[in-house]
Amino acid sequence: MTGIAANNLLVRRNGATLLDGLSLSLGPTGSVAIIGPNGAGKSTLLKVLTGIDKPSAGTVRVGDRDLASLSNAQRASTIGYLPQYFEPHWDLSVAELVRLGADRSDRLAAGAIEAATEKFELTALGRRRWSTLSGGERARVLLAAVLVVDPPVLLADEPAASLDIRHRLDVIRALTRRPDRLSVVVVHDLDLAFTFFERVVVIDRGKVVADGPAKSLIEDRRIDEVFSVRFDRLKTPDGWLLRASTTNS
Amino acid sequence: MRVWLLLVLALLLSIVIGAAAGHDWMSPADLLRALAGDTDLRSRLLIDWRLPRVLAAAFVGALLGLGGTVFQGVFRNPLAEPYLLGSAGGAALGATVALLVPLAAPQSLVLPVLAFAGAWAATMLVIGISRVAGAVDAAGMLLAGVAVAAVLGALRSFLMLALSDETVSLQIVLSWVLGGVQTPTWPILGLLAAISVACLALTLMLAKRLDVLGLGETMAIAFGLNVNRFIAFAVLAGSVVVAAAVAFGGLVAFVGLASPHIARWLVGPLHRPLLPASALVGAIVVTVADAIARSALPPAEIPLGLVTAVAGGPFFILLLARRLRA
Repeated sequence: MTGIAANNLLVRRNGATLLDGLSLSLGPTGSVAIIGPNGAGKSTLLKVLTGIDKPSAGTVRVGDRDLASLSNAQRASTIGYLPQYFEPHWDLSVAELVRLGADRSDRLAAGAIEAATEKFELTALGRRRWSTLSGGERARVLLAAVLVVDPPVLLADEPAASLDIRHRLDVIRALTRRPDRLSVVVVHDLDLAFTFFERVVVIDRGKVVADGPAKSLIEDRRIDEVFSVRFDRLKTPDGWLLRASTTNS
Repeated sequence: MRVWLLLVLALLLSIVIGAAAGHDWMSPADLLRALAGDTDLRSRLLIDWRLPRVLAAAFVGALLGLGGTVFQGVFRNPLAEPYLLGSAGGAALGATVALLVPLAAPQSLVLPVLAFAGAWAATMLVIGISRVAGAVDAAGMLLAGVAVAAVLGALRSFLMLALSDETVSLQIVLSWVLGGVQTPTWPILGLLAAISVACLALTLMLAKRLDVLGLGETMAIAFGLNVNRFIAFAVLAGSVVVAAAVAFGGLVAFVGLASPHIARWLVGPLHRPLLPASALVGAIVVTVADAIARSALPPAEIPLGLVTAVAGGPFFILLLARRLRA
């Protein structure tokens, strides 16, 4: 079990402040949805937490260690990262892609590749090349390649945003159902955020503006402020529906 | 497995054809007699001249295949080529200096050394420029490479015009710039073989990380690759390979571009099989091209680089067209 914490993160690029002293402590287990309007800094936060982008100031701690002090191999097998958009440059096969994901860990559990291949229903697709796969199949391949090492921390930048609803639900379920693990997912669909995740963090202009259990945070009016709309909150049998109100407040 | 067998058989066949081809055509029987230790004139011609030349062509082709594969892998661009990136241009400039400037050491020693130095310096320059410009990514390096290659080409032409007072030396440089494998002695061929094996080993060490880099820079970092450091190292390794190819074969165009493509069709895009396959394809291509260069217009010899350019140019256009359509 490994949590991840951002301490006073500052990211400036080309004169713009993308993260503005953001602090956030996540985990060590559970599912966290990160929501916020476009340009809030969600993707930047995930990249800094993964170690892909370096912050101008501030630190990231993974478990009881500084992210910068981890070796590349330790970092890659501790933190799984799912990008918003993924397109390999070479037309690799499904099995080759999963294998590349597995090879980043030097302590891979026996049978992990077979288990991941089976879990994401890729067994029959092993020899198929990336260019021949559908969007849903591609999402499953990426999930298998990232999750094959069973990383204690998963940071996902809504990898399913462009999929149809059934495949999107499949992906969200795979991301959130990880017992004794931490899953942090940038979610664009607020209903999914409040239905599938235990905790929701609202980010705007590079800062955390609201943070709490999904059940209680749903009532928080700061969500309306951040998205600049008024939401109607409708309870459904299995979650919440947030509908942007069509009448002026 | 069958693909590898076919590649090796094709290489052996092209070597036999290469040994047979020339101003004076030999039969396979001549070749067998020569290999069995016969000492008549034809056999000695084969053993002392034809065979070393053919094998040198094969090794130069293998090096070009390896170099092209590394550069395409690093820049994740199937159109990347050593000649686009300054390293071949740097090697050519170093070799031109060796050919035109009278130096104390023997030319056979100075030329490879200066070619290495030129390729290395040009590559460092490309890396340096892209660093200073703040564009260490693949596209930035490629553009810096194009600019450096253009400057180096101009410098080489200037040297050729300024330093050659007799037409003979200009012709030597020109024929070398146009590409051509010199006939080596057996010890030099042994050196070339050792360099080629070392280059294969060096590039195979990069194979796994080239695969990871092929996932894109973001995913590569997430999968634990130190992307900037690896790119700089791989470019350097690639330029060592290219310098070796240029030192022994001059400027042979398009083989470094085409071999990885053909190899990818045969064994797929993973670099561990791709590198040796691309070396084999390059060896076959250059061996056959060299045979054509020696035998198409007897008694004259066409520069090897012209043969590969005539065949490779349309290949490049085909790739470009396919890429633009896709």
